[in-house]
Amino acid sequence: MHIFFDRLARTFARLGGFVLGFLVVLTCVSILGRSVNTILNGDLFQSIMPGFSAALLNTGIGPIKGDFEIVEAGMAFAIFAFLPLCQLNGAHASVDIFTSKLDLRSSRLLRAIIEVVFAAVLVIIAWQLFEGLQTKRNAGETSFYLEFPVWWAYAVSLFAAVVAAIVSIYVAVMRVLESVTGNRVLPPELEADH
Amino acid sequence: MSDLMIGLMSFPALLLLIFLRVPIGLAMFLAGLVGLVIVTGDTTIPLARLKSETFGTFSNYSLSIVPMFLLMGYFATLGGMSQSLFKAAESWLGHRKGGVAMASVGACAGFGAICGSSLATAATMSRVALPDLKAYGYAGGFSTATLAAGGTLGILIPPSVVLVIYAILTEQNIAKLFLAAFIPGILAAIGYMIAIAVYVRINPENGGKTRERIPYAERLRALFDVWPVLLVFFLVVGGIYLGWFTPTEGAAVGAFGTGLIAWLAGGLTRDTLSESFYVTARASAMIFFIVLGAAFYNGFLALTQLPQEAAAWVGASGLSPWLILIIILVFYLLLGCLMDSLSMILLTIPIFWPVMQELDFGLVSMVELQSSKLEALAASGADVSATLLAEAQAILANGQELTREMTRELGLRGVNQGALNRVNIEYTAIWFGILVLIVVEVGLITPPVGMNLFVINAMDKKTSMVETYKAVLYFVASDLVRVVILVAFPFITLALVPL
Repeated sequence: MHIFFDRLARTFARLGGFVLGFLVVLTCVSILGRSVNTILNGDLFQSIMPGFSAALLNTGIGPIKGDFEIVEAGMAFAIFAFLPLCQLNGAHASVDIFTSKLDLRSSRLLRAIIEVVFAAVLVIIAWQLFEGLQTKRNAGETSFYLEFPVWWAYAVSLFAAVVAAIVSIYVAVMRVLESVTGNRVLPPELEADH
Repeated sequence: MSDLMIGLMSFPALLLLIFLRVPIGLAMFLAGLVGLVIVTGDTTIPLARLKSETFGTFSNYSLSIVPMFLLMGYFATLGGMSQSLFKAAESWLGHRKGGVAMASVGACAGFGAICGSSLATAATMSRVALPDLKAYGYAGGFSTATLAAGGTLGILIPPSVVLVIYAILTEQNIAKLFLAAFIPGILAAIGYMIAIAVYVRINPENGGKTRERIPYAERLRALFDVWPVLLVFFLVVGGIYLGWFTPTEGAAVGAFGTGLIAWLAGGLTRDTLSESFYVTARASAMIFFIVLGAAFYNGFLALTQLPQEAAAWVGASGLSPWLILIIILVFYLLLGCLMDSLSMILLTIPIFWPVMQELDFGLVSMVELQSSKLEALAASGADVSATLLAEAQAILANGQELTREMTRELGLRGVNQGALNRVNIEYTAIWFGILVLIVVEVGLITPPVGMNLFVINAMDKKTSMVETYKAVLYFVASDLVRVVILVAFPFITLALVPL
């Protein structure tokens, strides 16, 4: 069971990573296009070889139109896709100097309560994201440059947000089990890497 | 209970949650949610905010710098640049007393120029430098303390993730903040090297052997090997500053550049790519959740009018601005011993920044503002009479302000009292941001809970925590001296920042 959730979380982290990598490349290509466009339009090329630069410009060399809208939509998906791994590994920043003295029982109970609340919050977030999606869809809102319906971006993010909620429910259930049975169920948490 | 009281009460509640080990982002989110429900008396408004706020935060264009910088930092690790940096620093500094330790600090500073996170810098450089420090006979505690302190340069020397968040919170120009961090970052590296020099003289038994002197030709060759680092740094920071691209685009260029270097060096394989995604995923999700929680909590605080009231109260109290600044910095030093820098900044800046905005430190005078505008006017080649220009320059050189008639005749714009106030607020924001960044980083290496200390100490099993604690005090002292200098002389921080 743990292996399944571990794979799920890692798959989504990689998926988010690939989207992030794609956005990096997209942004760089856009900058490159913009620079070439500026150079071709510049005095130097316009005076020496106007025909050549006009021909190149006609092929549509330039910044990618509305690239930042893709960055925004893609980034939202990536962050939602990153959440399951963070949840499963307990990688959220917290202060534990005051609770490190607690005995194992109280410590496990506290952890179980926190994870249950966290799962509830992530469920609410996914649910409200769905509500937001419907509002955008009913309003027919589209993005400014690319004019794609905004709810598409919401839908992609919702997919990852639901996985994050499911993983957090799994973590919460396991932590409650640990607290009730007194046995360790989940592997120990990773150190945060920030 | 008035809204203001509810706002005030939320602080102890929030602190209680955080000290109960509730993740900081979640704690702020809960405090904000419950607070909003109490203030608005209903769950409709907080839930309605959630409809678009989560997506809005996660898709924020400025914030997308953060995952890109994190990826860039990890790629930099894979590219083997830490090795060449350390080798270069060692060839220049290794023959001095405590030279290998100084070289570690120098290499950390170099790595900080392509990595925006402090733990990543400390951890990466430790892998390279710890074995060498040991080989040259440096004591374990001194070695770990050096690297823990050197790691804090990662966040001070631009690019810096925390500075990006600060810029977004205070609506300041990221490029200007990066520029302002540059000199304090160099000062920090020099300060740490002085701390090392002092330490090895007081505790000669803990300092290691010095290396043999290396001929200059070889030193230059080692320095030449770090060109990819310099290229990426100048492309990213310079490109952002010169307006070639936005900060987010700069981060993308940096991630692409370091990724390419890592790939060419053979460090980027299927496995390491996955690992870099996992590391980026965990850190990004954590940061974005804190940002989301902070946005929610601050939305609630704004509704209670607390930040405005606090600012008005401080403004009316007649306390010296300098005293208030010192109180805030001491507060950060203390809190920094408990909490990570990013959470602290997200939690406190929305309260402290409105207060700071009310304070006048006189960072820029009218004469200085007019001089810089006049210079720009003269350089722009606008049609101004030369005699008038010379006359105005003479008046300003004399330390006097230009009269209103004169500025009108010259066609000089943006030199009234309002413009001066705006410039002063911007300068205060930049200066304050750098100071806060430094004091929260001191927390990372302050015993007993400094996070860098734990991470580096864990990498060296033979060294006890106490040994690290003893040695790190020299670096903390160096940090504190630097803070005092930067508070007393704001122009050090602001020297590179254009008006």
